[in-house]
Amino acid sequence: MSDSTGEMNATNQQTRVYEDVFEMLPSEENPSPMVRINRLNPAASFSLYAKLEWANPFGSVKDRAAWQMLQDLEGRGEINQDRGIVEPTSGNTGISLAALARARGYRLKAVVPNKVPKEKKLMLKIAGAELEVVSDELCPAPGLGDGSINLAKTYAKAQGDRYAMPNQYENYQNVAAHIQTTGPEIWRQTEGQISHLFVSLGTCGSVTGIAKFLREKKPSVKVIAIQPSEGHDIPGLRNLSQLEASKLFDRSLIDEILEIDFELAYKRALELCQTEGLLAGPSCGLILEGTRHVVERDQGGCGVMVFPDNIFKYTATMLKHLPELEEGTSV
Amino acid sequence: MSEFAHPEVLLSTDWVKEHLNDPNVKLIEIDVDTQAYDAGHIPGAVGFNWQTQLQQPVQRDIISKEEFEKLLSNSGVSRDDTVVLYGDNHNWFAAYGFWLFKIYGHPDVRLMDGGRQKWLDEEDKELVTEKPRVTPTDYRAADPDWTLRAFVPEVMEVSKKADKNLVDVRSPDEYSGKVIAPPGMTETAQRGGHIPGAKNIPWSSAVNKDGTFKPPEELKKLYFEEKGVDPSKSTVAYCRIGERSSHTWFVLKYLLGLNDVKNYDGSWTEYGNLIGAPIEKSA
Repeated sequence: MSDSTGEMNATNQQTRVYEDVFEMLPSEENPSPMVRINRLNPAASFSLYAKLEWANPFGSVKDRAAWQMLQDLEGRGEINQDRGIVEPTSGNTGISLAALARARGYRLKAVVPNKVPKEKKLMLKIAGAELEVVSDELCPAPGLGDGSINLAKTYAKAQGDRYAMPNQYENYQNVAAHIQTTGPEIWRQTEGQISHLFVSLGTCGSVTGIAKFLREKKPSVKVIAIQPSEGHDIPGLRNLSQLEASKLFDRSLIDEILEIDFELAYKRALELCQTEGLLAGPSCGLILEGTRHVVERDQGGCGVMVFPDNIFKYTATMLKHLPELEEGTSV
Repeated sequence: MSEFAHPEVLLSTDWVKEHLNDPNVKLIEIDVDTQAYDAGHIPGAVGFNWQTQLQQPVQRDIISKEEFEKLLSNSGVSRDDTVVLYGDNHNWFAAYGFWLFKIYGHPDVRLMDGGRQKWLDEEDKELVTEKPRVTPTDYRAADPDWTLRAFVPEVMEVSKKADKNLVDVRSPDEYSGKVIAPPGMTETAQRGGHIPGAKNIPWSSAVNKDGTFKPPEELKKLYFEEKGVDPSKSTVAYCRIGERSSHTWFVLKYLLGLNDVKNYDGSWTEYGNLIGAPIEKSA
C-alpha cells in the first residue's frame, strides 16, 4: 500500500484508494456497481440488473450531471470565489452540486420546492447549500412552470454578478454526462448484451444521454421510461404532464412510456429493501414495478434498471404511504 | 381580428421596456410568492406584498381608503400617473391589485400582459435587485366604488334567483368538492363544493402558455359560447380568496367589455364557512 516515503500510492481503482473525492466520481473505469435482481425478477430467462447510483460519492445519479455541469462552468470561467451557483433542485442535484461546489471553494444557492421532504432540505444545508424554499404548485396552469425554476432564473438574471445558473432542465451537459459515463459503463458492464434499459423521468438527462449512447452502439436496445401516475409525490420524478419544464426530453429516443400507480413505488421499494437487500428509494420501486410488466411480457433479454438513489432520505415519506410501518416503533 | 373592449389596459413587455424611464409611468410588482420581488424585479418597480399591504391585518377586508392613500403616497404614485401592474402566476395578484386600484378610482391603471414570467423569459429584459428611490406624494383616492365588489347578501340572491352569471374560477377539483383548496394553501373552508348555480370556468382557461391573455375571439367563444356566460346579464366571479377571480373579473370587464361585473373577494373561504348557506357538490 505504501511506497518508500510512507505515502500511499496514487489513485488505484482496484483497491479503491483515491486522492480526492472528485476521483471517486463514476466513469467507465470506475463505474457504479450493477447487481442482479434475483427474487423479484418475474422471469428467470430474463437477466435483470440494477445499476446502483447511490454508490456514487454524494449518493445519487445526480452526481454525474452535477459534476459535468460544474466542470463546464469552471472551464468557461463562469464561477469563482465571488460568483457562485444558483440552481432549482428537488434535492439530489443540489446535494451533489453543493458538496462539489463547496469542496471546490464555491457557493451554492439551492431553490427548493416546499413539498420536498425535510430530510432532503436538511441534507442540502449539511452539504453546504444556502436554501431558498418556494411554495410551488399553487393552482397549476398550462406553461406556468415551476416556481423554483422561475425564482432561480430571477436570481441568475437580477444578480448575474453573484450567481451563474447551470439549469439542469436545459443544460446539455446533463445529457453529455450520461453519454460520457453511464452509457459506456452499462455497455461495458453488460458486455454489450443489454437489450432493455429501464429509467425514470426527471430532468430527462439520464434517459436522453444513456439512450443516445446505447442506440449508437446497438440500435435494437429498447428504452423504457417509467413515469408515476398524476398527483404523485415522488421527489425528483416527473409525470409526462410535468415534463414541459425539461428541455432535455427527447421522445424519439424512448420506445415505451409506462405509467405506474405511484403508490406502488413505495410498496416495491420496501420489497427491494426486504427481499433483495437493496435499500432502494421510491423511484427505484417505481422503476421495478414498470420493469416487471415488461419482463413478464418479453420473457427473454438483458435489462438494466438505473436506480437513482437509496431509501435513507425517505423514511418519513415511506411512513406516509405505508402506515403499517408505524407498528411497533414505540412502546 | 376583433379587439379587446379596452385594449389600452393591456401592455406588452416591450412597451414597458420602452417606458422604463418615463417619469409618469409607475411600475408595481405584486406576486403570490412574496420572495420574488426581492430576488429581482423590473428596474424602477415598487413591490407590494399582498399579504401585508393590500389587506387589513385584523378585520378581513381590503385596505381602507386612507391606507390605500398612504401606500400609494409612500410608493411615489400620483393620481395622474400611468400605473402598470405585473406579477407572477400569470398576474393573479396583479389583477387583484388592478381591481383594488379601480375600487379606489385610479384613472389610469394597466396590466403587463404575460406578467413576471414573460419578462423573465425574454432575453432583452433586465431584472435588478435595487429598490427604486421614491419621492413620496400626497395621493388622494376616490371613495370606494362598491359596484365592483360583491358581498354575501348579493351572492345569496344571485344564487337563489339565478338571474345573473355566477362564475366559479377555481380548479375543477375545488369546484366539485374533491379538494377544499389547492395543495399547500393555508386558507381553506369547512366544506368543499361550490355556490349553487355557479358555472366552473377555471381562471387559467383565459391564458396562453406564455402567460399572455388569449385573443378576443377565443375568449368570447370560451365564455359566451362554450361556458354559457350571458353577456347581457350582470356577473359575479369568485374563487377561494379573491385573487384568481380578480383575474377573471379583469377578463370579463376589461377584455370582453361586460357592463356589470363584480368580484366576490370573500369567495369560498367566506361562503364555504357560512352556517346555513346552501352549497353544491359534484364529487
